[in-house]
Amino acid sequence: MRKFYPEVRLRRLLKESGGSRREDMIDRAAERLEEIRAKCLTAIDAKVERVSGLALSTSDEGIELCYDLSNEIFAEAGTFDLTELSAAAHSLCSLLSAGNAPAGAIRVHVDAMRALRRPEIAGNKHMRAAVLAELRGLVDRIRERSKG
Amino acid sequence: MSAPDPDERLNLTKANVLAVDGSAHSLDVIGQILRGFGVSTLSRCSNIEEAEKLTRVKTFDLIIIDPSLERGEGYAFVNRLRHSMMKNANVPVVLTTGHVRGRDVARGRDTGANYMVAKPVSPKILLQRIEWVARDPRPFVDIGDYIGPDRRFKFAGPPDGSDGRRTSDLKSPLGDASEPNLSQDEVNAMIKPQRVTL
Repeated sequence: MRKFYPEVRLRRLLKESGGSRREDMIDRAAERLEEIRAKCLTAIDAKVERVSGLALSTSDEGIELCYDLSNEIFAEAGTFDLTELSAAAHSLCSLLSAGNAPAGAIRVHVDAMRALRRPEIAGNKHMRAAVLAELRGLVDRIRERSKG
Repeated sequence: MSAPDPDERLNLTKANVLAVDGSAHSLDVIGQILRGFGVSTLSRCSNIEEAEKLTRVKTFDLIIIDPSLERGEGYAFVNRLRHSMMKNANVPVVLTTGHVRGRDVARGRDTGANYMVAKPVSPKILLQRIEWVARDPRPFVDIGDYIGPDRRFKFAGPPDGSDGRRTSDLKSPLGDASEPNLSQDEVNAMIKPQRVTL
């Protein structure tokens, strides 16, 4: 085994004068994220529709693309505090990665994700929580049924 | 672990950063966060081929990559980078991960990256990881298949400013012993192999 300590220029740069406080850097980063919120939400909606179109695909390629898009929705929705949508997308990723996902379970995920982006639901935290709770309950029931 | 000084200043304005992600919008998110941190030299790639070309010609101070792009080819890219013996072979690497499949956890650990950060990425956590990689005291080890930071955290403990993943971790300083030490016989009795019936 060879052990060595590589030079890490980042360590030196971080300490150079002219920097900012952590809190200020974090605040500025949050402001920058707000600048792209609208654009990213539009993109998330487009991805939800694409997932809807792919949801009943039986090809490996289609399932992989559905997984990739759901993974993107999970990450990007979470960044912009669309917590329930992020959770629904993550749940769909888990379902798809486990393999042999029941078509019904995929459909309810897609329906939940579309519902969560409807204006009357997106703007109401109780309704969003209810959609997510319903999704989780349905997924549990479908899973139990498919075991039996 | 010491809490970071809130008045301490950090300077990322001269850092040359490469962000790699299969999603253009995730690149936008990472890019906006890094610009907010003051990073002015940022390269973005949405595919491995582009990332490999760039790492051959430019010197980076930090690479942030979602290794799941191109069906997980990002893991192999980081591994090849570490083995390349070229200018960016030892550059700090942070993996960003969304939903991970079981096998990807081990792959991430074995790429030679310094740290991982789970998506959705928040500015606070990304800045913390950047500090961790910059201050990472671990040596690199080269054992053939693996080149990268020593993966053994057992004695190093979690990085400064973190409580660690296990909330039951003891906090330092531990203080004086409150009971007598165990005798060797007592220690031996705890680890003595015992026959069991299954």
